[in-house]
Amino acid sequence: MILAIVCAALITAASLFYIFYLPGELYLGPEKTRASYLRERKDVVYENLRDLNFEYRAGKVPDADYQSLKANLQDEAAGLLAEIARLESGAIPAPRKARS
Amino acid sequence: MAFLGNFALLLAFALSVYCFGAGLLALLSPDEPSSQRLSETARRAGIVVFGAVFLAAVALVVSAFRDDFTIAYIFHHSNRDLPTPYKFATLWSGQEGSILFWCLLLSAYAFVLRLRYKTDPRLFAYASVVVAGVQIFFLALVNFAANPFGLLEGPLRPDGSGLNPLLQYPEMVIHPPMLYLGYVGFTVPFAFALGALIMKYPGEKWIHITRRWTMVTWGFLTCGIFLGSHWAYSVLGWGGYWGWDPVENASLMPWLVGTAFLHSVMMQEKRGMLKVWNMWLVFACFWLAILGTFLTRSGIISSVHAFAQSSIGSWFAWFLGITFAVFIFFFVLNHKHLRSENKLEGMISRESSFLFNNLLFLLLTLDVLWGTWFPKISELVQGNKVTVGAPFYNRVAIPVALILLLLTALGPLLAWRKTSFESLKRNFTWPCVAALIVGLFVMLTPTSWGSIFGLKPWHDVSYFYSLMTIVLSVLVAFTVGSEFYRGGRVIAEKTGQGMFASMVQLTHRNTRRYGGYIVHFGVVLVMIGFSGSALNQDKEAELGYGDHMQIGSYDLVCRSYTQDDNANQETEWALMDVYQNGQLVRTMTPQRIFYKASQQASTKPDIDQGFKEDLYLVYEGQNDKGQPVIKAHLNPMVIWIWIGAWVMIIGTGLALVENAPVPVTVRVPRMMEHAAPVAGD
Repeated sequence: MILAIVCAALITAASLFYIFYLPGELYLGPEKTRASYLRERKDVVYENLRDLNFEYRAGKVPDADYQSLKANLQDEAAGLLAEIARLESGAIPAPRKARS
Repeated sequence: MAFLGNFALLLAFALSVYCFGAGLLALLSPDEPSSQRLSETARRAGIVVFGAVFLAAVALVVSAFRDDFTIAYIFHHSNRDLPTPYKFATLWSGQEGSILFWCLLLSAYAFVLRLRYKTDPRLFAYASVVVAGVQIFFLALVNFAANPFGLLEGPLRPDGSGLNPLLQYPEMVIHPPMLYLGYVGFTVPFAFALGALIMKYPGEKWIHITRRWTMVTWGFLTCGIFLGSHWAYSVLGWGGYWGWDPVENASLMPWLVGTAFLHSVMMQEKRGMLKVWNMWLVFACFWLAILGTFLTRSGIISSVHAFAQSSIGSWFAWFLGITFAVFIFFFVLNHKHLRSENKLEGMISRESSFLFNNLLFLLLTLDVLWGTWFPKISELVQGNKVTVGAPFYNRVAIPVALILLLLTALGPLLAWRKTSFESLKRNFTWPCVAALIVGLFVMLTPTSWGSIFGLKPWHDVSYFYSLMTIVLSVLVAFTVGSEFYRGGRVIAEKTGQGMFASMVQLTHRNTRRYGGYIVHFGVVLVMIGFSGSALNQDKEAELGYGDHMQIGSYDLVCRSYTQDDNANQETEWALMDVYQNGQLVRTMTPQRIFYKASQQASTKPDIDQGFKEDLYLVYEGQNDKGQPVIKAHLNPMVIWIWIGAWVMIIGTGLALVENAPVPVTVRVPRMMEHAAPVAGD
């Protein structure tokens, strides 16, 4: 029983040390902005374009469908790029650092 | 061990409360200078929770191995002569232990989530707080309502009562962990979804993260459900693999909703649509998983699986109510954030097929939910319990499953946004012709071939359903095959590689899509397996030495009966010679086992599995006249269910692999020439 109590005390002490001893800086990651959201959307639209091209080359999509779908996706991509260009004056925000 | 176990559980509970409280405080005051450090301590506390719960689980398993019958749980669920693997299974074989096991798995998922926080620290902080809230509930339960370390009252007993005989089967060592990993895992997507809703997360990245977690969880649940079916088939001795039992239904409901989500999530990722719908689907997965646990724990609905009636049912009822209220509150508060970015552009499109697929999955879920709760509802309304059986479920489930199968064939051939009839004709003609030829072949072959051959759909509606299942399955198989072929051909033309190597490369380039197709192919095999059930046969007979029994093309001759005895069990088995066309093909040995510690008897069928049909023999023991009784089942195509399940699991695993980089570029729109090029074809 004494051994079990000693074990329990040691486990508690080690846990508290791990939880509350925080040396150095903390990683907070980049701030999520409208521009970063638009970049994510742009990647998705490009991926959709890539899929469409592939399906066209595989013979799944007729020519007329392909041209119309491609034009739609390109319009969407152009809109996103235009908005990103408007929002972006400088570089992507650097990761934030917290004070230790 | 009991002291250490109790200490570990209390520590885990206290740290979960801290993780939740400190995490919430940090999120409520993000501008406070100390909030980041507070958030980090909350995250670390959450990590330690896993260690503490793991310690408690180890303490319980060690107690089982040491035959520590001072602990009531060990006394009730183990005994000295229990084989070693089943001593591990003690952890989840009873109510208290299985809740501890639930806590362990939840802590393990939460541990991984908290370690991976760098993906998106703020979103993960929200998700961590939500998970901590769920952990508090389960740890409170295991500490204060269903403690596995409670001591046995009265004098110390020399031996335990033993493990439930039905659980003494190798698959039972894997089935509950898999099922629990599935149930518990839905907490993580729910945590991300609720976190994203609360913080009005901009964009769809949260759904990208959630989708991977959901796939893992869905894979485990699939594995658990099929292992459970296989266990029921191999152990319970009634000749079937699915009985629409409330506990089976409890696992099926989150699986159905999870499947719907895995499809509709693509619409949100690709087109920014169905955001509200997906949010509700994620919540429904989690809520139905908890509801399933409530069903098994409360004793509110009778089931062959359910644990005895206990007071913890009310805990679950409260928890279900609270989670529903919290979700509704934040949904009403922030639902405007979930507005769709696009509209449905064409009725024949990938989007519409997903939408229809989702509605069908929802209909199936409602059918199962209604059937499961019907006994309770009828009791409340009429005063007597009316239980519904397979015909009730099948009336909806079979037609819906057939339409879903048709959509599985159609979906991959439809383009996003809109699809022309010309495109449909181009992609669909040959698979349709092939499916019809196979359907005609199955119909026109002689019945004497056995199994599914010679199916005449006009004889019985169940034959019609079987034939339709086969035709539509072949259609799906051909469309899936054509997807691999067409894609492989493009790569083969470009790289000069062989077709097989090209298809492998194709799969590696888009693991999610082609892994998904492999899952679809697995579904096809499972459905073909199901289609055989319309042709099941069974017979029962008293068989003395040398007596005969005929089923299908098999002649069964009883050679003898024999017995065996060891410390754990007494086994009696029948030796049955199986003849086909006058030739002895094998000897089968169905068993009847009496477990000494629990004083319970159980049957162990002997199954001769084949690609065409299973011969399934059950030794039912002796009847009132002292005559041994043998029951024989002839079940066509069952093996395809298990093969299909393996294929589904392999496909899911493949879909989780990272895509290989594609070394080509997409032409950038002319008006935005300064944009960076990206990988594409």
